[in-house]
Amino acid sequence: MREGLLPRILPPVGFAGIVLGAWYAVARQLANKELLPPPWSVGVALVDLLGNGDMVEDIVASLGHLGLGYGIGAGVGLGLAVFCARFPAFETAVDPLIEILRPIGAIAWIPFAILIFGIGGKVPVFLIAYGASFPIFVATLAGMRGVDRALLMAGQALGASRRMLVTHVVFPAALPHVLAGARLSLGVAWSAMVAAELTGSDSGLGWRLFWYQEFFRMDRVMAVIVMIGVLGVLADLALRGVRHAMVGWSPEGHDAR
Amino acid sequence: MRADRLAAIASTLVLLALWQAAVWFADAQGRAPAPLGIVAATASHLADGSLRAALGDSFLRVAKGFVIAMAIGLPLGTAMGMVPALARAVAPFLDGLRAIAPIAWIPIAVLWLGVRGDAAVFIVTYAAVLPLALQAFQAVRLIDRRLIQASQALGGGWALTLWAVILPGSIPVIITAMRVAMGFAWGAIVAAELAVGTKIGPGQGSQGIGQMMIETLYVKRDVDTLAMCMLCVGLVSLTIDAGARVLGRKMAPWTH
Repeated sequence: MREGLLPRILPPVGFAGIVLGAWYAVARQLANKELLPPPWSVGVALVDLLGNGDMVEDIVASLGHLGLGYGIGAGVGLGLAVFCARFPAFETAVDPLIEILRPIGAIAWIPFAILIFGIGGKVPVFLIAYGASFPIFVATLAGMRGVDRALLMAGQALGASRRMLVTHVVFPAALPHVLAGARLSLGVAWSAMVAAELTGSDSGLGWRLFWYQEFFRMDRVMAVIVMIGVLGVLADLALRGVRHAMVGWSPEGHDAR
Repeated sequence: MRADRLAAIASTLVLLALWQAAVWFADAQGRAPAPLGIVAATASHLADGSLRAALGDSFLRVAKGFVIAMAIGLPLGTAMGMVPALARAVAPFLDGLRAIAPIAWIPIAVLWLGVRGDAAVFIVTYAAVLPLALQAFQAVRLIDRRLIQASQALGGGWALTLWAVILPGSIPVIITAMRVAMGFAWGAIVAAELAVGTKIGPGQGSQGIGQMMIETLYVKRDVDTLAMCMLCVGLVSLTIDAGARVLGRKMAPWTH
């Protein structure tokens, strides 16, 4: 059922108005203005920080951590999954280790990572890589295991070689699962990034949160929080776009919502 | 015992032995954690009660935050499922909030609630409430429309429909959501305690497993205890997961 533009955008816009209004009303009532900076001063701080380049620097640092860590984590997860699917003996050997490590979330590694790498950019990269590797590993392995037997037999019956079966049947069939796992991985990576930058780094948006807190610039703290949210939404949208373009044909290529 | 189970145990033992041997041969006891050291650390921390106290403190905070999150998230999500206009208004907002890592709120939470533990409870609540609300919303939407229409056609008002159709119908999805949210909550408590601990220094903030890790890192420099803490964090995650699965079988036996 297609609805008009107005009924679709009115509720979210109205709700945003209510939230901003309530925020403004509470901020006005407070004796100590620093406890909750009003919405417009957060907006001013955001424009300010973007304008003078401070926040641009933090964003670049954070995205650098994310890109490197996510690349390593996704690569390791994918590689291990393909290896495990190809060599069952390898899976038997590494499975206990993975099952022990998996419940230990990335966050629990923070003190250890600080001990190994020292405070700096390597801590977030390590944590992101660690956190991102598991969801994509699990999803890829499940995707490669779950390939429809009938498709494989059809391929064999039509004379496909083993290599062709892998490249033309197994990989395409697993791809929707891989990308679904990639999206889960991104979510884990995002919170691991913020947590690691907060506690064990000297650059990035997470690190800036505490930096501005030390100067008691709550408007800037809120501005950084807003930017973390905006970038998180954009990253998720980008990955959804990739999924839609690459595996839109599969029911696994879409989300429930 | 099945062969693959046996193989898993064997490979675990081999890994542990290799690990211990590597630490011995590199003469790195005290600098790298080793299985025997972890066992010794666990024994001593169990004996003096500090491990139980730290885990208990963290778990109490998770429980507090989780109860608050359930009290907010489940009614909100259910209402969103029943009133489409509300869902359209609130869902984009919740999606946006979900993109903000819970731990990013720690400076604000500390400012409002202090370092003694309430800040960590806030982070837990934040981490758990979004999946709970969004999944409760999803749960209501997945209920067969015909059941709701039947209830209404038979003269059930909205209150009766909620009680007799929508709540029982959404239990399976909500149980799954609780499992996920509890996992998030546990990850968030460790992060919050770590963040509070690193910034205000050891010994003054909330007592919990994260605080214990920070003290071990910066004061005692004891890698075996650190590894023990990490394993405990993982064990609690597993326990939460298993517990929620049992709960799911008890409360929604028709789905199994």
